[in-house]
Amino acid sequence: MTKRLKIYTPFISAGIQETATYRVDLIFYLLGDVLACFVSYFIWKAVFISSESEFLHGFTMPQMIVYIFLMFLTSLLIYSDGTYNIGEEIRDGSIAMRMLKPVSYNATFLFQEIGNKLVTNVILIIPLVAGVEVVRTYVTGEIQFNILHFVLYLISCVMAYLINFFFNICFGFIAFIIKYLWGANMMKNCVVGFLSGAIIPLAFLPDTLEKVFLFLPFSSLNYTPVMIYMGMYNSSQTAFYLGLQLFWVLFFWGLSKLLWSGASKRLSVQGG
Amino acid sequence: MIHVDNLRKEFKKVNKEPGLKGSFKALFKPNYEIVTAVDGISFDVPKGEILGFIGPNGAGKSTVIKMLTGILTPTSGQCIINEQNPTQNRKKYVKEIGVVFGQRTQLWWDLPLRETYAVLKEIYEVEESEYKKRMEFLNEVLELDDFITSPVRTLSLGQRMRADIAASMLHNPKVLFLDEPTIGLDVVVKDNIRKAIEKINAEEQTTVILTTHDLADIELLSKRIVMIDKGNKVFDGKIADLKSKYGQMRELVFILENIKDLEKLEYKSHFKFKDDDLSVTNDGISVKVRFNNSVAPVADMLSYTLSKISVKDISVKDADIEEIIRRLYKQEVDLND
Ligand SMILES: Nc1ncnc2c1ncn2[C@@H]1O[C@H](COP(=O)(O)OP(=O)(O)OP(=O)(O)O)[C@@H](O)[C@H]1O
Ligand SMILES: [Mg+2]
Repeated sequence: MTKRLKIYTPFISAGIQETATYRVDLIFYLLGDVLACFVSYFIWKAVFISSESEFLHGFTMPQMIVYIFLMFLTSLLIYSDGTYNIGEEIRDGSIAMRMLKPVSYNATFLFQEIGNKLVTNVILIIPLVAGVEVVRTYVTGEIQFNILHFVLYLISCVMAYLINFFFNICFGFIAFIIKYLWGANMMKNCVVGFLSGAIIPLAFLPDTLEKVFLFLPFSSLNYTPVMIYMGMYNSSQTAFYLGLQLFWVLFFWGLSKLLWSGASKRLSVQGG
Repeated sequence: MIHVDNLRKEFKKVNKEPGLKGSFKALFKPNYEIVTAVDGISFDVPKGEILGFIGPNGAGKSTVIKMLTGILTPTSGQCIINEQNPTQNRKKYVKEIGVVFGQRTQLWWDLPLRETYAVLKEIYEVEESEYKKRMEFLNEVLELDDFITSPVRTLSLGQRMRADIAASMLHNPKVLFLDEPTIGLDVVVKDNIRKAIEKINAEEQTTVILTTHDLADIELLSKRIVMIDKGNKVFDGKIADLKSKYGQMRELVFILENIKDLEKLEYKSHFKFKDDDLSVTNDGISVKVRFNNSVAPVADMLSYTLSKISVKDISVKDADIEEIIRRLYKQEVDLND
């Protein structure tokens, strides 16, 4: 096992160096996200001001603000662009170069991306968590930070990332098999954004819809970690949703293996 | 070592009519066409042989290499290399082969070359002592030291190709697949690459399949060639056989004292050459006469030429492989006789 992992450590370092090379891109990318976060903040502020009651579907305005910033943080931490990368590699044929190496195709992607994320996440997590906590303390009037929630949040984020990664890989293979990547990717991002609670909290939806969405894999992406962080779940709920996350990790991991064997037979590596 | 049996590959090609309307039509009712790139090819390569795999542009060479290396799945037929089927158990299979596609690199774009090799060492599980020995050898032949600390994306074409060749040999593969490893390189780099291939073949008994458009590669490295055209095998044998069988062309080169004398030479009517059997070119100083040796023997050509005109310098060249291949590609000689 350690020997097998050792094979993949070079991919982590390759990923780290890649990110280091393109750090300016990273800054611009972050600025865009911060902007989107503030837009969302002002919209929700307007919604709360225009509403009569203090609670909206169990959320107070301060909680809503914390929710927005946590969503932003979580989306960043679990971000994965496997669909895009796989699509590109299939299109330009460089996927062949991965296939010629005696390593697992998915794993090289995973470890390379973990390398990428190691840089961004380590740099980002401390200032961002501190920022969220400052906002939280300010809007609620007292210190809310809970170390247990925070640790569970990190665990939940790791699983959310793995779900996101394998889901994106699966999606990339399907898009390749049906040969229609770009439109599909756009649509996916919108739908996932909605179903994962990144746009509005799932608690705002009608009860039956909320129940359905909570069982779909997408709520395991952003919603579960954020709710855990905010302490919205009791311990049995937390255990249940972490279990559900684990289930989805395994599900998409298995599915990606299956789809890869289908996709690899259809490759038509062009050029040469 | 390599057994290829009736290998076929068809591609499905979407025919799109031009313009926006065509795009819409292709979206809803795609119009497919089947292109047969490789049409039933069989050959065997014993251990330790360097096989020259040639053919005109679009013949299907790269497609065959892709199937042999397991990145394309054959439509039908099979290949067994090193007792394994490339599309089954990919990880195990690729560990024992080395591949270079001259057209694109297999190295990590952003990694310095030295790190790239360190990565490959881990992936292929090469022993430390073995790795050192190999790097030393490759360094010596391919002169990697000059650019070993540069990221791959900054390398020149020739440097990158040397780096790629070294990468393909690092783990001492049993079979090497080289698809145009000398494309776009200067003579010195070409020499280095040929030397590396020759050495690893001699020292490690590595089996090599080599495609190229530079016939000097083939002449210097391999004894046997397989030629394909339009997806079919058209020749399989020794280069020497090819030469003795189809190499009736000779080249007479001389310098005239007076270029106007050229009009006095009437090879065509005198020897009754057909169109394909003779070509005369001159650059104002020297004259090149290509002719078919079986129609007019060299001695006759020489004595006729010298009897008609006075020359400063004259030489006769043997059939060169390039000329034969040129005629084969243009299908001037029938391979089935
Ligand atoms: N992915 C693909 N889809 C459709 N047709 C293809 C594809 N790949 C190759 N072909 C066709 O198959 C034929 C063989 O191509 P291939 O690349 O094997 O030629 P080649 O012998 O390597 O030529 P060259 O010497 O120019 O590199 C060509 O006619 C090419 O157009
Ligand atoms: Mg080719």
